[in-house]
Amino acid sequence: MDWHQLWVIISKPDNVPIASLLVLVPFYFWYAFRQSFANDRLIRQLEADPEMAKTHHRKTQPYHPSWPKEVHVWPYLLRIEFLAALIVTVILFVWSITLNAPLEAPANPSLTMNPSKAPWYFLGLQEMLVYFDPWMAGVVLPTVIIVGLMAIPYIDINPLGNGYYTYRQRRFALWTFCFGFIGLWVVMVVIGTFIRGPGWVWFWPGQTWDHNLVVFDLNRDLHDFFGITSMWGKSIFGAMAVGLYAAVAGYGCHKLITLTEFSRKVYERMTLLQYLTMQMLLVLMLLLPVKIILRQLINLKYLWVTPWFNI
Amino acid sequence: MADVPPNEKPPVVKDPVTSSSMSLSILVASLLLMLTLIWAVYDETYSMRPWKGYQKDFVSLYQQFLQTKTPEQAGLEQQVRESREFQDLESEFEAAETAVAPQVEEIDSELNQEINPKIALMNAAFQAARGEIGALVYQQEVAAKDGNESAAESIRERIEQLRGQVLPVATPAMNGTPAEETEYVYTDLEAELDRLQARKAELQNRRVEILQEATDLRRKRDSYLQENLVGLNEAQMEGLQREAGSLQVGIRQIHVVEMDLVDRCESCHLATRAPLEVAAADMGGRMEFASHPRKQLLDAHDPEQFGCSPCHNGNGRATTSVVKGHGRHEFWLWPLWEKENIEAGCQQCHTRDLYLPDATTLNEGKFLYQHRGCVGCHRYEGYDTEGEQLLAVQNEILQNEQLRRTTLVEIDRTVDQADRSETDEQARFLYAKADGLKVSVSGIDAETTQMNGQVRHLMKERKKVGPSLKEVHVKLNKNWIPEWIENPQAFRPATKMPQFRLDEQQVRSISAFIWQSGVRGDLPSHPRGNASNGKELFETRGCMACHSVGEGGDAVGGEFAANLSRVGEKANYEYLVRWVHNPRVRTAPYCPFEKRDLTPEDYENHGLPYVFDLDHSTCPNDEHELQVQQMTVMPSLRLSTAEARDIASYLMTLKQREPGDYEEASYIDDTALFEEGKELVRHFGCDGCHEIAGLEEESRIGTELTREGSKPIERLDFSLMTHDAEREDWYNHKGFFERKLKTPAIYDEGKIKGPLEKLRMPNFHLEDDEITALTTLLLGSVESPLPERYFYHPEDQRQAIQQGWEVILKYNCTGCHSVRIGQRSTLSGLPLYQSPDWREQLPPSIIGEGARVDPLWLAGFLSNPALSETSVNRNGVRPYLQARMPTFYFSQGEVLKLVRFFEAMSSQPQPYIAPELEPLRGQELSLARQLFRSEGAPCLSCHATGDPAHDARATAPSFLLSKVRLKPDWSGRWMLDPSYISPGTAMPSGLFRRDGERWISAGPTPPDFNRYDGDHLDLLVRYIFQFTEAEQR
Repeated sequence: MDWHQLWVIISKPDNVPIASLLVLVPFYFWYAFRQSFANDRLIRQLEADPEMAKTHHRKTQPYHPSWPKEVHVWPYLLRIEFLAALIVTVILFVWSITLNAPLEAPANPSLTMNPSKAPWYFLGLQEMLVYFDPWMAGVVLPTVIIVGLMAIPYIDINPLGNGYYTYRQRRFALWTFCFGFIGLWVVMVVIGTFIRGPGWVWFWPGQTWDHNLVVFDLNRDLHDFFGITSMWGKSIFGAMAVGLYAAVAGYGCHKLITLTEFSRKVYERMTLLQYLTMQMLLVLMLLLPVKIILRQLINLKYLWVTPWFNI
Repeated sequence: MADVPPNEKPPVVKDPVTSSSMSLSILVASLLLMLTLIWAVYDETYSMRPWKGYQKDFVSLYQQFLQTKTPEQAGLEQQVRESREFQDLESEFEAAETAVAPQVEEIDSELNQEINPKIALMNAAFQAARGEIGALVYQQEVAAKDGNESAAESIRERIEQLRGQVLPVATPAMNGTPAEETEYVYTDLEAELDRLQARKAELQNRRVEILQEATDLRRKRDSYLQENLVGLNEAQMEGLQREAGSLQVGIRQIHVVEMDLVDRCESCHLATRAPLEVAAADMGGRMEFASHPRKQLLDAHDPEQFGCSPCHNGNGRATTSVVKGHGRHEFWLWPLWEKENIEAGCQQCHTRDLYLPDATTLNEGKFLYQHRGCVGCHRYEGYDTEGEQLLAVQNEILQNEQLRRTTLVEIDRTVDQADRSETDEQARFLYAKADGLKVSVSGIDAETTQMNGQVRHLMKERKKVGPSLKEVHVKLNKNWIPEWIENPQAFRPATKMPQFRLDEQQVRSISAFIWQSGVRGDLPSHPRGNASNGKELFETRGCMACHSVGEGGDAVGGEFAANLSRVGEKANYEYLVRWVHNPRVRTAPYCPFEKRDLTPEDYENHGLPYVFDLDHSTCPNDEHELQVQQMTVMPSLRLSTAEARDIASYLMTLKQREPGDYEEASYIDDTALFEEGKELVRHFGCDGCHEIAGLEEESRIGTELTREGSKPIERLDFSLMTHDAEREDWYNHKGFFERKLKTPAIYDEGKIKGPLEKLRMPNFHLEDDEITALTTLLLGSVESPLPERYFYHPEDQRQAIQQGWEVILKYNCTGCHSVRIGQRSTLSGLPLYQSPDWREQLPPSIIGEGARVDPLWLAGFLSNPALSETSVNRNGVRPYLQARMPTFYFSQGEVLKLVRFFEAMSSQPQPYIAPELEPLRGQELSLARQLFRSEGAPCLSCHATGDPAHDARATAPSFLLSKVRLKPDWSGRWMLDPSYISPGTAMPSGLFRRDGERWISAGPTPPDFNRYDGDHLDLLVRYIFQFTEAEQR
């Protein structure tokens, strides 16, 4: 294990946000879920006791007769926010005093740095370039991500869970979020920062980043496995393969969407457009892990090769 | 809740939202915020500005230093002040001052007590009135312009009124005159003021005039003090102390707009430009506070123009830490040079200088680069350019020949067309065209002839670092070859030949190829000579200026050429005789156009005798210039055949083993090995340093190093050492170069490579200081971002010095001569020349040669040092020296460079026009003759005359050469004080003394001289410059 180099990489000022991600994301994940479960217990209690539900007012705390029904924003909320502001300011101060801007050597047009990495928040996109062609990974998928994020309020018609943490009432939304944000974004950022070394080669943590490393990687397109060579053959075969994937993935997603009685209720209330949009987004999201797995297992490059784009 | 009994009070549970207090948390957070705020302010003012601390330390240390230094300087100053000269100047000055004191007093009193106060008072009243009038005039002008006649008129009246008004001027009581109040009309006041001003100017001028003498004397006294005081005087020291005490804390920066340079180095290095020398020891051992150790460099490179970082590198803008300021940061591309490589900074701009007075390491690096043969494989701009020039000219010749052929065809075609043309007009036109083409052919021929001449000279100039391998057949013991190739250092430690990484089979193949590729030829056989006489000749003729004999620490002689301790084991006697007699003689000439060595048959076919030398240097087959000399810098010492035999016989005795003891290398004649050997020789670039048959036109195998220092670090292949280098902190250019030079194969370590894939660079077994020198050169070989103006590309005499020095180094002139001040010849360091008798046998120092000799004569002498076509076995100028000025067969260009070099070194004007000397008139000839042969200093007792018996004891050149050889003004200076021109010379000083405006002989002069009122020195010079053989008798 090359601890020295691992430390050098982790302690780079540039990588501090990502190193903190490693700790902060699990912590808040745990913290939010703890609160959700506490609220779920309260919800169950109130559902069991309709009388209590009438008098109960604070969603996150058990009922107590001597407590006022409502508390004022000032000072009870603002003082907490003020404290948070103080702490964040202190952290930013200390950060800016101790860590300077991580500048590197002057740009040299005849010499590209290796590895040449995007800013940390774009590393997820850069990682996608490994699995998709630049047109997909650089243009189509980012657009879908942005449009998809904008579409969430129109797709999500579950009225529950506003203003309080809950797991039980928003199971599907939560897991979709965890998969999309943590799985497809945070993890990709972490991989891009700590795992991808010179030549964008996969280095496990502790493995020395060797500039002289020579790797042999022969990736093949799906049609190569079947010996299809003609352009039309490839296009049609690829379209069929992708169609098959979409059918299977769509069926799986539908099963998930209608997994519980509650979610079936939500599903019933969705319009066709809402449903189809959600299906498309989910199928596209799933494509990334599927391709990662296929790449690792059978060195698959593209499923569908056309003269204009590849998937 | 439901199950709580109604009459029971519920337990008091505090509302977690409203009852809890957050004061403590907010207090703690606020305190933390305060602390970080204080920390931020502290960081901003001190941590990020460490130079403040340096400046504080500096002030106290510097003041302390100045305090201890001031009394010392004051003492020195006191000494000067107490000297008689100063006292005399002081009293002269005081006398002059007292003499005029009463007059000055008078003027001062009138000025200060009468005129100045009056002017002040009157001015006040006058100015107020004039101001008002001025404003009114403006209003009047404006009114007149607007056509408001009546307003203008009324203003004019008002002005008139003001001009006529009476102004009271009150004079206070002074000097006995009582206070009074005078009234002036405005215009009178103006006149009176003018009068007073004029009087004031007159008095002031008078005062300066009266004090003129005293002022001059004071200036003289002060400059005497300044000139005789080492360092600063007391007042200046006190000034420095005051300055140090009131030092403003702040960034000190040099800003040079032209090259976008901001250097803040002096924010910490405060004493860099201190007017007195400050050593680290003076400042409590703090290196950063020492003054610049080589002030003279700052004189040539004014920091206001050059800054610091262009020479030293580092990050001149950074002020937040030492590491950043010095650029010792992973991403800063120009880190401060390490101390031992500091001269790399010079190389950036002084690329073409092979010699820099203050850069010994760099000079060494540049010398080694050429001398050790780096240039054989690695191109470097400005080094070993003869080959490239030669190639270019040869190509041009080929093009010209092509052009000539096509033009001839064109002529024929045109004439033919003309013959067949239909009209007379057309025919005339075409014939004229053909004539024009004919003339252009003659132009092409002229150009080709001229270029052939160039080729001739370039052929002479082109040298190889190692010996020609075409001569192996006639030169070497063939069994010795494999042993040498395998490990040259084992046979001859410190040889220039590096050790290649070869296995046994490769050594065999290479040996076989070299042996078989050598040209065949016969050498005349020679009887053995007298080895002991040969030894003496070897030691005295000057061979040891370049060659050494003896093993290891016992080696005696120059290191420029090979150590000959074991030459007897490898060499063939007959070859040595030829070589010692004239090393430039080749066995066969090489034709660069046919790309082969010519054979006697080539000459026979054209009915020509097999003769090739500098006078017969054209190819019998195609009339191109041939390479008729060996490409060695070794000159001919113009020895007789007998002497050459003696020396060769002596050299053959230098051995540790018998040549016959070498293992029989029978495979060397195996022709099956030839091709493999040739491939290996080509692969390893042997032809970079050696002339090898069949590989004459190969190009260099190594990477070009002209800009190696600014190659991105990623492009330097540390291979498997990368991570060790990073961890051990040598992942930089310096680390790469140093390790590569120490162990050239180092970056192959751990790599699995085929035999011909390995790094080819051989091991030169360089000493550590040689590695440092070469590393310095490479580090400085950068693409400099500085504007062109900063590069040292002189076009005047300094360029002549640059170019001449190249030739001097190329032929090792410094082996025998001192050429620059501070440089001693190799010979002068040899044990033989330590006794006083032998000291006189040292070749002359040629510092100041340009002032001494006529450049035209010098050019002739350099081409033919014997100064004779027939009697060559001698020195032309100093026949009494045993060491021989050799014939180097310089090209015209080299002669020109050398002559210009010497002229430039002595700042002689170009071109040199010999001054007309007045002929000796009347009795001057007999007077001069008397002076020349005076008992006190008979010139001819030391100077050579040409009589062999006398010349055996002579220690100076013949006067017969003076007229053509010397410059008259130099001759005069030489006779006055030769020890200033050449310290330690046998020529006596003090022959003349000053008598008024002229020099007269210091010795006893015959009575005839009493009536002669001319300059004796001048007389003697004129005599010497008309000296003839008849006069000598």
